[in-house]
Amino acid sequence: MEILAQLIVSGIALGMIYALIAFGYQLTFATSGTLNFGQGEALMLGALVGLTLVGHMSYWLMIPLVLIFGALQGIFVERVGVLPALKTKSEFGWIMTTISLAIIFKNVAENVWGHDDITFPSPLPTSPIEFFGIRVLPMEILVVVGALAIMLAVELFNRKSIYGKAVIATPNDRDAAGLMGINTGVVITFSYALSSMTAAFAGVLIAPLTLTGSTMGVVLGLKAFSVAIIGGLNSGMGVIVGGLILGIVETMTGYYISTGYKDVPGLLLLLLVLAIKPSGLFGKSVIKKV
Amino acid sequence: MLQIKELHAAYGKVEVLHGISVDVPQGKVVTLIGSNGAGKTTTMRAVSGMIKPVSGNISLNGKNITGMTSNRIARAGLAHSPEGRRVFPTLSVTDNLLLGAFPRLTFGRERGDVPGDLTRVFELFPRLRERENQLAGTLSGGEQQMLAMGRAIMLNPDVLLLDEPSMGLAPLLVKEVFRIIRELKERGITMLLVEQFAAAALDVADYGYVLENGRISVHGPAEQLKNDPAVKAAYLGAAH
Amino acid sequence: MSAIKNSSIVLGIVAAAVLPTIWPNPYYIHLMVVIGIYAILLLGLDIVVGYVGEVSLGHAALFGIGAYTAGVLNFQLGVPFLLAVPASIAVTGLFGALLALPALRVNGPYLAMVTLAFGTIIQILINEMTFLTNGPLGLSVRKPIFFEHQITGTDYYYIVLLALVLSVYVIQRILKSHLGRAFEALHDSPIASDCMGVSVYGYKVYAFVLSAGIAGLAGSLFTYSEEYISPSTYNFELTILFLLAVIMGGRKTRTGPILGAVIIVMLPNVLSDIALFREISIGIAVIAAAYSAYAVTTGQRSLKQVALPVVATIALAVSGFFMEDITEHRLTIFGVMILFVVYYLPNGIMGFLRSLVVKFRPQWVHRHAVILEHGDQQHIWSVPDHPVTAQGHLLEARNIVMQFGGLKALNEVTLEIAKGTVHGLIGPNGSGKSTMMNVLTGIYKPTSGEIEFNGKIITGTTPSSIAGEGIARTFQNVQLFGEMTAIENVLVGLHHTFRHRLIDVVFQTPRCRKEKHAAEIRAASLLQFVGLADLANEEARNLPYGKQRLLEIARALALNPSLLLLDEPAAGLTAPDIKELIVMINKIRGHGITVILIEHHMDVVMSICDTVTVLDFGQKIAEGNPAAVQSNEKVIDAYLGGSAKAE
Repeated sequence: MEILAQLIVSGIALGMIYALIAFGYQLTFATSGTLNFGQGEALMLGALVGLTLVGHMSYWLMIPLVLIFGALQGIFVERVGVLPALKTKSEFGWIMTTISLAIIFKNVAENVWGHDDITFPSPLPTSPIEFFGIRVLPMEILVVVGALAIMLAVELFNRKSIYGKAVIATPNDRDAAGLMGINTGVVITFSYALSSMTAAFAGVLIAPLTLTGSTMGVVLGLKAFSVAIIGGLNSGMGVIVGGLILGIVETMTGYYISTGYKDVPGLLLLLLVLAIKPSGLFGKSVIKKV
Repeated sequence: MLQIKELHAAYGKVEVLHGISVDVPQGKVVTLIGSNGAGKTTTMRAVSGMIKPVSGNISLNGKNITGMTSNRIARAGLAHSPEGRRVFPTLSVTDNLLLGAFPRLTFGRERGDVPGDLTRVFELFPRLRERENQLAGTLSGGEQQMLAMGRAIMLNPDVLLLDEPSMGLAPLLVKEVFRIIRELKERGITMLLVEQFAAAALDVADYGYVLENGRISVHGPAEQLKNDPAVKAAYLGAAH
Repeated sequence: MSAIKNSSIVLGIVAAAVLPTIWPNPYYIHLMVVIGIYAILLLGLDIVVGYVGEVSLGHAALFGIGAYTAGVLNFQLGVPFLLAVPASIAVTGLFGALLALPALRVNGPYLAMVTLAFGTIIQILINEMTFLTNGPLGLSVRKPIFFEHQITGTDYYYIVLLALVLSVYVIQRILKSHLGRAFEALHDSPIASDCMGVSVYGYKVYAFVLSAGIAGLAGSLFTYSEEYISPSTYNFELTILFLLAVIMGGRKTRTGPILGAVIIVMLPNVLSDIALFREISIGIAVIAAAYSAYAVTTGQRSLKQVALPVVATIALAVSGFFMEDITEHRLTIFGVMILFVVYYLPNGIMGFLRSLVVKFRPQWVHRHAVILEHGDQQHIWSVPDHPVTAQGHLLEARNIVMQFGGLKALNEVTLEIAKGTVHGLIGPNGSGKSTMMNVLTGIYKPTSGEIEFNGKIITGTTPSSIAGEGIARTFQNVQLFGEMTAIENVLVGLHHTFRHRLIDVVFQTPRCRKEKHAAEIRAASLLQFVGLADLANEEARNLPYGKQRLLEIARALALNPSLLLLDEPAAGLTAPDIKELIVMINKIRGHGITVILIEHHMDVVMSICDTVTVLDFGQKIAEGNPAAVQSNEKVIDAYLGGSAKAE
């Protein structure tokens, strides 16, 4: 019983990271119908840039700088990869360009930071805290709090500020948004900036808990696909539930079956959700007027 | 205030407007009437920037707006309540209205008194005030039309484009819409009105243009057009 | 021209066959074998990426499944080559179905996401399931023994060459048949495709499963070629190379995948030899600069457009002189290559060459099979697949409500269509006519209400099955398959008459040829009926607007419908054309086809409709014969807004 509880708690931190990356997918998919197949690489770059900065300043000071870096990286991806592809109106275009950028980023990271994984110094004490026999790392708590905080901040922004409303209006009706004086192109660029920013943030959150290296983003980005689809590519809160489900199922699979098969539940869940309710567990199936 | 000169517009390869010229003086209501497919909505879309004209010249308050993107034209002071209403379904009534004032709240238009204008729009459309927090997608057709018009007014525009405001509405609501147009006219708002219901449009307008197959066939003061046999032929094309 | 094409193909095969005798180096022979195997896989991948337009990020994994199926069968169970290969095809095809069936149900990047996840999992599973696959240690397999003769490397070259030639032949046959037309149609206009009975979902899955089976073939051949397989080969990098090859070689061609295979097999060799890399990159920069100079001086491209690619290729060449080892950066180079191809060479190298040839010798390039069949009167009409058995009304739509959010586009509308009549549906803009059309053809599922057609409830079924029941339609905004010719468009409508199977297509059986011939005659006859006989081989997007609308009618009639829905057929037609249209509709009715007509041209409605229903504000406000409806006060009000002017 204790083991089960421990597994669940370990799964939560991991799940929140998945949720945060999936949240990034939603941000861009909601405004432009596209997503960044290199989201994992955005996370990786955030972590590595953070690693370099942390050698010169404290972890807390590093965070806003990494956020800025993430935003710039997102703008780059959108301008170079997505915008020209959107002009060709084919799905194939932006999928291939975001993938190409992903492999370029990864290769560049390999050459700059090397192939080996590096340990990221933890800003919080590394000894676990005990609650009722369950061990939790302080860093894991920070991950959950940080992820929730940034997702909440974005949601508040969307609901309260006029810019946020403009971001919601754009996918609702792009033409009408233009008539309101909203530059829909800028809205899309902004959503990519925000998306990469949250991924970079996820990177510095998870880096102290795992090994930091050029390959860290690949699998995380992939798993987050499942979470985004489980939660629904259009809905906000579903990703948190989806992330928790995946995180917990994975830790349990890893323990009860084998660590080798840890990555399988993600794919199975993905196929299952697509087969049964493609709009996601929390997504709303919208009838589009033709 | 709004001057359209020799406007040519096309959808793909098919040219739909073959050089039309329309003048909307300040404070006046000008209407564009014609049967379906004549090109009325195309004209509106070309003016507000939803489509790019093939050639011609459009100027707003002396400023050349031909070929600009719709968001820049909106910030220049032209509001368009589009055909089919096109409200933002997942945002509330109030949020839809506030977005109408987007250039005033951000940049491009003088800020003025946005909350005051919001109150005034609610006075004009009491039905909307009852539903101020409701999601726009759940409103009925008539209510959405009110919202689209209110949203356009929130820009505090120099010119207001109304595209088929009566489309798909029950007769009672059509009456309501034209009453509101009359009230806006009394407030001195410059309007370009496109309508399927020529009779009602000519009743409220100062001046009218008749569009047939992408060309202006007849134009003149509204009173004159109402009694013109050519006009009767054009707008009775719907049902003999 | 086909004489030149055919003889060059034969020449190519002969040259390939003779190659090992001229150049017996085993290393290069093995390289050619790998090129051949990759080419087979890429031909299959082109069906998904080039024709249907979906991205698959899992073809390396499917390749691996093919390889391991053959490997495991041989290694663990001693299954011979001639059984292992077909088994691989079947197993890989099955995995393809497993992926495609859930992932393609909804539009979006789901197939890409699913196949990417699949690719990662398969590598892991192959590594983990050591009891089956021997895990990271890999499997050893020996080349087969036929009739006591041990197949050598050179022998195997001929086996793969034969497999490649057969693959090209089979895939060519498939893509030139009604199946290939279906793939193109669903990409061109998914809505029209569904409404003509070609299910977009069904054929997308079909395309993916085909490509999976072909990948399985390639995989199994690969196992015997290498004689040793291990999991590390079938990784993401390989999948990227496959995609690069398909788009760089040239989509929708047979030579493109072969060229692409050559490129990606040679690429690692080029990258590891820095001197060779420098030579090639300089060559590419020179070509790019020369072409750009030509394009700018002849005004085809602006300086701004060519600036970036030229600078990029020069930068690449220069970078070669600063680095000693390019292999560390190979993924960056692949990424840049993909970006380059997506932006500047969307149709690949073969597509680019083709566009050059078209400029100088247009007659050398023929994009469509020219169909010279002539139609005749006898073949216009045919018996519907589902004969009309209903005793009462042919179609009954009862209490239909269609709600979009808070908007009731249709509010309890009941429509009863009598057999053999022309039933008009009129009303002002926004009254719900087109919505009703879309509800009747299954594009929307009504919020409530029931639709019964020919005695069968069809509410909530898919557009393609409704088309199968015998309801055909035209569209208000023309939805033709623009890149296909007029007659090909009609042939898509005739898709349901092609009952023969894949096997028949591959072997061009008499049954296949008979059905094809019959369909072509029928299509030509239908074009004659609408007056487009001399434009049969013109691309649909080049036709004038009015003729496009007539083509839609011909295509809809090809479905052998018992009910034809015409959505504003007279829009954009000149007065004499409208007279022709009326004659046409009368003839259609004369042959027992019931018609529902949405129109704004009152003269059309009055002259041919037996009954007219008037909608306004989503409700039925009048119904009856044309004269009665025309003088109905409510109708006059609705069209003129009479009450609004009483101020």
